[in-house]
Amino acid sequence: MRQTIPTFIFLFFFVIAVATSGVSAANTASSATEEQKASVVISDCQVNPTALMCNDIGTVTVTIKNMEIYKSVNIKEVQMLSQGLKVLSDSYFNPGSLGSGGDLRLTFTIKATCPDGIYYPKVMVNGEGAQSIRYSFPVTVDSSSLTIGVKDVPEDIFRGERAKIELVVGNPRPNNVTAVKIVTEDKDVMPAEVFIGTLSADNSEVAAFYFTPQAKGDCVLNFKLQFKNGDNHHFTDLSVPLNVTESKKSAELILTGIEVEFIPGMNVYKITGDINNAGLEAANSVVMKVGDAEGIEAMQPYKAYFVGLLNADDFSSFELNVKVGENETQVPLLIEYKDEDGILFSEHEYISIESSPGTASTGELPVPMIAVVIVIAILVIGMIAYSWKKR
Amino acid sequence: MLEVLTNPNKFFEARMKGEESLRIPVLIVLISGIISGLSSFLQNSITVKMMSEVPPEAQGIVSIMPTVSAIGLVMFFLIFWVFVAAIFYLISCIFKGEGDFNRTLEFVGYGYIPMIFGGIIGAILMYTIVSTAHIPVVTDPAKMAEALGLLLKSPMMLLSYAISFLFMLWSANIWIFGLKHARNLTTKNAVITITIPVASYYIIMTYVLWTISQMGVM
Repeated sequence: MRQTIPTFIFLFFFVIAVATSGVSAANTASSATEEQKASVVISDCQVNPTALMCNDIGTVTVTIKNMEIYKSVNIKEVQMLSQGLKVLSDSYFNPGSLGSGGDLRLTFTIKATCPDGIYYPKVMVNGEGAQSIRYSFPVTVDSSSLTIGVKDVPEDIFRGERAKIELVVGNPRPNNVTAVKIVTEDKDVMPAEVFIGTLSADNSEVAAFYFTPQAKGDCVLNFKLQFKNGDNHHFTDLSVPLNVTESKKSAELILTGIEVEFIPGMNVYKITGDINNAGLEAANSVVMKVGDAEGIEAMQPYKAYFVGLLNADDFSSFELNVKVGENETQVPLLIEYKDEDGILFSEHEYISIESSPGTASTGELPVPMIAVVIVIAILVIGMIAYSWKKR
Repeated sequence: MLEVLTNPNKFFEARMKGEESLRIPVLIVLISGIISGLSSFLQNSITVKMMSEVPPEAQGIVSIMPTVSAIGLVMFFLIFWVFVAAIFYLISCIFKGEGDFNRTLEFVGYGYIPMIFGGIIGAILMYTIVSTAHIPVVTDPAKMAEALGLLLKSPMMLLSYAISFLFMLWSANIWIFGLKHARNLTTKNAVITITIPVASYYIIMTYVLWTISQMGVM
């Protein structure tokens, strides 16, 4: 018994000693590993644009930081992997050494060749004597485009009258878009382009256009909304169907009492008549001219006739002189006037030379005159004959 | 006096028995000249209208043109009367005509009576042309001839010429009998004496008018 107890005590302390030495050895081994593998982290990751549209090209900028205080790290390779997105740029091999506390910014180009959704590409960093890093980050693909619509358009659009058309542009996307502008190629629309600039997420802007139609009937105004998502150009079309009618109030000039008189010997026709304003608004600066046509030439003193202001339900007489070629049967007249906004209107009328009342025969002697000459001739010859008979 | 129109032979035969007197012939020529001067005044007023937009410094000259031409024509008629009588007198010398120049001048003056009627009708026609015709304002002097040419070609103007020619023919008929007695010629010689200058006048006037009318065509 006296030999068993000391042995037991020896074994107890031996076991404790062995156990203690084991723990100590393990602790020693762990300290050695920490000294060899330096700490490197991805401190920042930026995606531009923050939300890509399908087929957009964007950039991912990652910042690698050496967290060691006294130790530099040599970066061997940085690469990006993704299953949904397409990485267009190559991996970085030996991009450099990171000093203690230093960081490195590396940019990758990606293309969203995938359906809408959230994707998680990975950035893998391998450094010499440093821990390997696998860092995943989210990239949003959202193909929703900017919206454009008509905010306000007049109920009635009249020919020759300026109509204000307001368009609203909305951004339903989760990110800002830039270089937003609305363009149109319609020559009757002013201005041809409205620049909005940056349109932030979930915001809208209003652009005003002025449409002055020159012809009545159905017409379609085409607008194109252009914008940039990052460096990617996008556009959206908008067609606005409109029906242009004649104004119910605007000046309506009509010609009445037209008389065409041939001036013998001069090859000139004198066109006279009345110009009436049958509309409800005044016509300003009314000018009547002889239209351009082959064989037609305006003559002095009335190459053009200035009527001036012609109020509603008012009329004015006019006179024009025109030289007409032998084969011409119509004289084109051009009536120009302005509305109260100074917009110029022009109307064309055609005066028939042959069918117009009052047209004299062209250059032929009137029958009574021929008769007078014959009578005088008979009288003179008779007197001469009589004088010879009486001699 | 009317006998000179209906039976000039008898009229001049009777006048040969009386004293030479230029008082009535001068009056006839003067009336004829005044009427023709009036016609000329109207005709020139067309030119004035055409040139209404000439520079102000030229307006003074343009505006007195009708008056000057009318007075000038009256004087021209008196001179032309003497000139025509002289021509007749000289041509009749070929046929051994007898009689002094004053008698020839007197009888030629009577021959201007038909021209009074012709002048009145011509003045009426000219007034009609002036009051109804469209007269273009010509600012370019180069186009004046064209504008005038067109006007001279007008039917009313041609009618005026035709009537003038007819009355001239009547005057020539009176001159034949006048010269027969004034220069004691045979009827045949008197006809030749009158026909040569009158036919020449017709030819020259026709050529002049044709030339002017061609200006409007060009």
